[in-house]
Amino acid sequence: MITVKGVSKTFRNETALDYKDLEFETGKSYMLLGASGCGKSTLLNMIAGILSPDKGEISIDGRAMSSASQKEKDKFRIEKIGFIFQDFKLINEMTVADNINILRLEGVDTSGMDELLERLGISDKKNKKVKHLSGGQKQRVAIVRALVKSPEIILADEPTGNLNYAIGEQVIKELTQAAAGKTLIAVTHDERLRPYFDCVIDMNDVTGTPYDVAGGKAVD
Amino acid sequence: MLSFALKNMAVKKVQVILVVVSIVISAGVAVLAYNTANQVRDGITNTAGWYSAIIGPTGSKTQLAMNTMYFTDDPLGTIPYSVVTELQRDSRVKRVIPYAMADNYNGYRVVGTTSEYLESKKVALGSMFDDSGVYEVVLGAGVAKVCDVTVGDDIFTSHSAGEEHTQPLKVVGVLEETHSVYDRVVFTQLKTIWEIHEHEHEEGEEEHEEEHEHGEMGNMVCAAVVTTQNPAYAMTLVNDYNGKIISDEDGDSFTLQAIEPMDTVRSILEEADSTKYIVYVLCAIILIMNVMVISIITLLNMYNSAKEISLMRLIGISMKKINLLYILQNGIIGIISVILAFAVSKACLVFMDGYASSMGVVLDTAKVYPAEWAILALVFAIAVLPTVVCTFVMARRDGIEE
Repeated sequence: MITVKGVSKTFRNETALDYKDLEFETGKSYMLLGASGCGKSTLLNMIAGILSPDKGEISIDGRAMSSASQKEKDKFRIEKIGFIFQDFKLINEMTVADNINILRLEGVDTSGMDELLERLGISDKKNKKVKHLSGGQKQRVAIVRALVKSPEIILADEPTGNLNYAIGEQVIKELTQAAAGKTLIAVTHDERLRPYFDCVIDMNDVTGTPYDVAGGKAVD
Repeated sequence: MLSFALKNMAVKKVQVILVVVSIVISAGVAVLAYNTANQVRDGITNTAGWYSAIIGPTGSKTQLAMNTMYFTDDPLGTIPYSVVTELQRDSRVKRVIPYAMADNYNGYRVVGTTSEYLESKKVALGSMFDDSGVYEVVLGAGVAKVCDVTVGDDIFTSHSAGEEHTQPLKVVGVLEETHSVYDRVVFTQLKTIWEIHEHEHEEGEEEHEEEHEHGEMGNMVCAAVVTTQNPAYAMTLVNDYNGKIISDEDGDSFTLQAIEPMDTVRSILEEADSTKYIVYVLCAIILIMNVMVISIITLLNMYNSAKEISLMRLIGISMKKINLLYILQNGIIGIISVILAFAVSKACLVFMDGYASSMGVVLDTAKVYPAEWAILALVFAIAVLPTVVCTFVMARRDGIEE
């Protein structure tokens, strides 16, 4: 169970986000909808321990993240969380296998890599350099890297943001299947992907950010 | 981690090669300069160490040493041959070689001595002159080559004033080329020097001036080169003979000078040779440049790697592991560079050996001075230190929160 209680975060540009209290149940998949700037990615980063809230508390299975040291957060992130980034966060000059095996630096067992690459249909790309892959293939590599350590929580920040709808839908389908039984929180703009998730949260409501539906952007 | 470090280095092979080349050149040059300067210096000193003492006329110690061992400058004068026979009777003395320098052949110095003086040299053509014979010469390789003379030919030596002696000297041998001063000298029996001057003396008055110039060469030598039974005897021998006054058959008095050649040469090098300091300054400049180049390249690499480091941090790799990874990478680069620098410096030493031998010094490619290890260790530290500093700074900032 992930709980978000009384959390607020202010950025250097003085944008302030005050989150309503939230709870994410273990084993369920959540879709966070909302316009850019409404705090979706910030929430994922705070859950992952990459950012710290200015106020309030995020706790995971009763353990408060804000009181954890950076070392503990790193350990938690490498052991419990699989994070899929919108811009993949892959080393382009390295092969798919090397990008996944990088986790071995922290002692992560990556023996399940071949099976995951097979399931996501990119096993033939294992020894290809990432720079030679398409956007969809890169996203799948990022998913494999997130899932290979069998994390309890999967956080996906706009996993379809760089993909067209058809490929994006395929990626979401594969991601939700691969994440079955785990807690999945995925940020996306695309409401058409709702059917693949157990719950949908409108982040505009959570942070009280006005939503300009026509423009698809948050307005001050 | 090693596997990933190697893969990461392979990805950045151009940068890695640039760093390695820069370290190899700078460290290689520093080590080579230090090694060569010291080997040449040691070599010159060691050549002097072949002899325990040199006994000759009074005057400049340097002139006596340089003339007797390196054939430079003029002899200080002459001393009676009886000094040689007296030394031969001295129980402390293992061997005495008489040495006389007089006349020239086409500008090349003529040295009268015994075959023992040349025992470390190989005869390439013909044979060594017979110590009991006379009017035989063995030429340095350069003399034979330049003057186009070979075994069996007759040569005529000249006074320093240019007048040619009438007595022909038979070339019986040519020394193997040594790329040293020995290539440019004509060697003959001591008796040859005596006989020529005796012969000329009988021929006419004009000889008179020459005798004054060289001293009376009959039964005279310019120096006696001594090897003692035990190195410890050298000092007492020098003490005994330095300032000693002896008389020849005619009753003329001669004051002797005795030197320990190694000490004399060493003091010459210490007083006059600034090479050592130039080399140290050069090494320091090279190493400072090395620090700057490696630091700049490392900083640029780390700057370029900032994205990669940020990425690793985001997926949960700890700063400690990232630090270790980069230190390991630079450590590998440092080790490879240092090994290559060492190998390159030794390879260059082989090529430089030819040049050094012109100073009578043979460079030993296996010779390694402790300071060379220190230079290489310093270079290794320089290769790794900027990374340690960079990663330490990054670890403090931790930069994960953007």
